[in-house]
Amino acid sequence: MSELIQILLLGLALGGVFALMASGLTLVFGVMRIVNLAHPIFIIMAAFISYWAFTLYQIDPLLTIPVNMVVMFFVGIAVYKTVLARGVDKPGYVTITVLITFAVALTLDGLLGYFFSNNQRVASPAYATEAIFIGSFFIPKAQFYAAMVSLGLIGLVWAFLKFTRVGYAIRATTQNRSAAQLLGVNVGQISTFTFGLGIALAGASGALMSFLFSFFPAKHWEWIAILMSLIVLGGMGSLLGAVVGAFLLAVVSAYVSSFFGPTWSPITFYLALFLILLIRPEGLFGEKQEAL
Amino acid sequence: MSLLEVRDLVAGYGSGPSILKGVNLTVESGQVQCIIGPNGAGKSTLLKTIVGLLTPREGKIIFKGQEIQRLRPDQVLQEGICLVPQERALFPNMTVRENLRMGGYMLRDRRLMEQRIEAIFDRFPMLRERSHQKAGTLSGGQQQMLTMGRTLVLKPAVVMLDEPSLGLAPIIVERIFDIVRLFAESGLTVILVEQNARKGLEFSDWGCVLDLGKTMFDGPADSILSDSRIQELYLGKSKPTPAPETQA
Repeated sequence: MSELIQILLLGLALGGVFALMASGLTLVFGVMRIVNLAHPIFIIMAAFISYWAFTLYQIDPLLTIPVNMVVMFFVGIAVYKTVLARGVDKPGYVTITVLITFAVALTLDGLLGYFFSNNQRVASPAYATEAIFIGSFFIPKAQFYAAMVSLGLIGLVWAFLKFTRVGYAIRATTQNRSAAQLLGVNVGQISTFTFGLGIALAGASGALMSFLFSFFPAKHWEWIAILMSLIVLGGMGSLLGAVVGAFLLAVVSAYVSSFFGPTWSPITFYLALFLILLIRPEGLFGEKQEAL
Repeated sequence: MSLLEVRDLVAGYGSGPSILKGVNLTVESGQVQCIIGPNGAGKSTLLKTIVGLLTPREGKIIFKGQEIQRLRPDQVLQEGICLVPQERALFPNMTVRENLRMGGYMLRDRRLMEQRIEAIFDRFPMLRERSHQKAGTLSGGQQQMLTMGRTLVLKPAVVMLDEPSLGLAPIIVERIFDIVRLFAESGLTVILVEQNARKGLEFSDWGCVLDLGKTMFDGPADSILSDSRIQELYLGKSKPTPAPETQA
């Protein structure tokens, strides 16, 4: 029994981080219907910033979060403006964005691999090897901090969407693009901003990835499947869905990993993706999508 | 000078054929103007073009003396023209109150916005009762009331209504027309596209008949109603048959 609770704790800590990684992806899909296959490579790009800041200047990866977010916000906007902004209202845009973001992912993967090599890296701040004990249970400090930071950031994003004028505009655009336009929302501007925000969240996730998971440029392919399964389970476009999906699958994968061995853990996500699409394609909190 | 003037407007969707083939329209301030015509005449296309969702291929749209045919929808709204489209224009996962706030998105003055929302709640107590309910859970008639009521948060100079009573039960249709009356009383200029042509015209000061993408007739609403040729072609000789029963 106590072992089950221990695994649950570890799964939950992991879920918090997954939730942050998935939140940017789901936000971008919600507003623009862009399936951003390049999301994980942006996370890895940001992980490199934090990794080098730590390795070269001993700067705590957690402290690089604001910098990562600002840098990646502008990277996101630049990418959006150059390759994604055109044709937003054209039919077939969603399908095309899959190909475009796939190309962006390939390009960045190649560039990062060329400059930084595909060696495994991980930043190792002091807390990476320490743990917090609660009675007889433990959580590694790194995972605990990362989960707390993730949930804090998601809370901020939620409050931003719920209470600010831009947040209203983002939600309105997600739910009914043409109606938002008719009420005075400049949907082009909102789309650009939201893409930047989504990639900024990838930037924050990257800081956490730099010390939680060993990473290298080509690793982003694995992450695509994981993140897609989280937001498909939650319902694509729903922030709450991404959080719930992340916690559910992280916990399940933790159990799978402990009962069947860590090599089986990734299959949790693939299998989940498969089953959700068969049984309930719109996910837990998603709207039924019209056929594309 | 007229408030809104449309001159020789030609427009269509994408690279498709032109739907509007030279539409002329003049709207005077404070009037209710009804646009009638058969399905496919270009009524909705005209409204979408005025509001900037479509860019005209030829012709001019002049509002308060300025050409506005190249403006984006948000800029046209800023100028003071608002479209309530035919399809449901609500945000289903936002609450009734949040939908009303979106109606005031262009208002920088938040206090004024909240005041006007309160005024709308006073007028439509049904909306106040449901202010925390998601808009998607309202009935069809309630949703249309919210969509139209939302316009009063911004109070633009011109409100264009595209078949506001479409698909609603007759008893709800009366409520919808009450709201149109409220718009007129509040001093808004109203452009009304209505499939129930007779009822729409009875309600209006001025009428305009659109067919095959062109303005066929333009004149005072009562003269259109009494014109025997228009009656025969567009109004149906006898009294209109009641609208089919649909969901409330």
